[in-house]
Amino acid sequence: MSDVTLATLPIEAALQQAQVNGQHRPTSLISMRDIWKTYQMGTEEVHALHGVSFDVNKGEYIAIIGPSGSGKSTLMNLIGCLDTPSKGDYWLNGKNVSEMDDDELARIRNQEVGFVFQTFNLLARATALHNVELPLIYGGIGSTQRHEMATQALKAVDLSDRVTHRPNELSGGQRQRVAIARALVNHPSILLADEPTGALDTHTSKEIMDLFERLHSEGNTIIVVTHEHDIAARAHRILSIRDGLIEKDEKIK
Amino acid sequence: MKFIETLKLAIAAIWAHKLRSALTLLGMIIGVMAVVVVYSLIQGFNTYVDEKIAGIGAKSFNVQRFNPLEDFKDTDTIAAAQRRNKDLTLEDYEYLKERATLIGKIGARARGTPSIVKRGDQILEDVFVSGATAAIADIENRDIAEGRFIVDPENDAAQRVAYLGADVATKLFPVGSPMGQEISISGLPYRVIGVETARGTVFGIPQDNFILVPLKTYANNFGGLIRQRSLYFVATSKTDDLFNDAVDETRFLMRTRRKLPLSEKDNFGIVTPDAITGLRDRLFGTIFIVAIAVPSIALLVGAIVIMNIMLVSVTERTKEIGIRKSLGARQMDILKQFLVEAVTLSAIGGAIGVTIAWIIGRVLTAVFFPTFLSLGAVFIAVGVSMGVGVMAGVFPAWKAARLDPIEALRAE
Repeated sequence: MSDVTLATLPIEAALQQAQVNGQHRPTSLISMRDIWKTYQMGTEEVHALHGVSFDVNKGEYIAIIGPSGSGKSTLMNLIGCLDTPSKGDYWLNGKNVSEMDDDELARIRNQEVGFVFQTFNLLARATALHNVELPLIYGGIGSTQRHEMATQALKAVDLSDRVTHRPNELSGGQRQRVAIARALVNHPSILLADEPTGALDTHTSKEIMDLFERLHSEGNTIIVVTHEHDIAARAHRILSIRDGLIEKDEKIK
Repeated sequence: MKFIETLKLAIAAIWAHKLRSALTLLGMIIGVMAVVVVYSLIQGFNTYVDEKIAGIGAKSFNVQRFNPLEDFKDTDTIAAAQRRNKDLTLEDYEYLKERATLIGKIGARARGTPSIVKRGDQILEDVFVSGATAAIADIENRDIAEGRFIVDPENDAAQRVAYLGADVATKLFPVGSPMGQEISISGLPYRVIGVETARGTVFGIPQDNFILVPLKTYANNFGGLIRQRSLYFVATSKTDDLFNDAVDETRFLMRTRRKLPLSEKDNFGIVTPDAITGLRDRLFGTIFIVAIAVPSIALLVGAIVIMNIMLVSVTERTKEIGIRKSLGARQMDILKQFLVEAVTLSAIGGAIGVTIAWIIGRVLTAVFFPTFLSLGAVFIAVGVSMGVGVMAGVFPAWKAARLDPIEALRAE
């Protein structure tokens, strides 16, 4: 995401206004401040997150680890702008996401977040190329440029020879690489992976994690959500979540 | 997201489920087809009536014993008219011809008699024979294929000459020209002077099974020009502008001749083209509305089927919706995707329905009844289909657009 593009976003004006009012404007890529997420279960309130704060700088490679029910999925949904916090501020690339409506969130997801899912989540009927083009379609990019960018992204994950294949004609590892190409095609601020190797065998898992390492070395910011310690160990920083709170935040490399 | 992308997506989705799309469309196709077939029958009927009037002569009117609009309302008015109205006479005809100043052409005809016609071994029963004066050819725009129409001297001398309908001519003369040949009508010999161009059938009634003879010949050989053979006149005005004046003048002359006081109603009838179309609209207007409304119910059923299938489709594709939303699709993008799919689906259904209806219309026209389908009606039918698609698609599309991305992604 270049600064030129950012400056054209209407939200930028609001942010500058906020700055004038003396509000905090973080310099880090991700800044979460006292994030709460509360669900209403019948008459009972359940706090999935209570008061989570952390920062992520550009170019970091982070693993978020925690057992099921720890709030790690909730945190991932918030980071990925699929949901908004009940309380607290979330700044992503200089924009306060916590107060956005559905359509603004959709735009942020389109521009700032690249998702990689455990089950790949490719469109079954579409070719690899079309799958990769999807974020560009919603970004309003014309077909020639879109085609060019998608081809480039597939090349970056070594799938130049699988462009016209449909997901059911690809192996699990190849499918995940299509998904990674799709996540990266819009040059997002963060690559957000949710158990990216959960559906893959050990060998393929290693391949995918190697790819992540390469993407990180190329300057991408990567956040991997996992419950597997050896996957988390490949990251440079590990956030451990338990009972809706950050239990440990350690740099390991 | 650009509209063309949305449309491509819709067509891809429809194509991916070909059988289901086809079955979904069946209701729509039948609905549109039924409405369009009925509509083209009505249009055909109206056009036929209009053409019939044009056939009598673009601007001509009839003077006859009864006025069907006034006299045939119910049994009482029929009985009253039968007592009051008298048959027209040839003297009436001469009277009008002499005195009317605004009439362009006037001809006299008599109602026909089904008769036996023979030529050698060929025997035709129930040929419709009637009498006419020379002017009728022009006034009724008769299209002569061979020979000529009856001329005035033949009428004055009550000569036995015959002008044949196309069917009669081909049946009596399978080979060779009928011109100048002799045929027998009700036992008397007649000489053929002309044959009319074939007109085909209308409402299943053949239009070419007739013979015209000079009016006086008819009166001499078939009995007086009264009751079932009653006389009537066909007239045109000098110019189209004078048409209504010519009608008024004729009425005035007829009333004068029959010495009717002001308070008396006409004891004759004058029928104008406007009166005929007016009668048609009065008689059939309501029937036409019902005839269109009933098949429209099929269209409604078609809409419900599409809505149902779209709802199933949204449920089935929840995951897809989740994926699209995670990649940045806004609510409006999803709404458009499903709405355009529903509209495209029903537009295809409408187009197929109209096409089938058009083919049915052609077949009907060929074998049974004139139908007519205007281009405007085609556009309206497809437009209405698309409208139905919007109605059927908006609720499922709205449901899809409102899905929570997290929930949708979790769906299987």
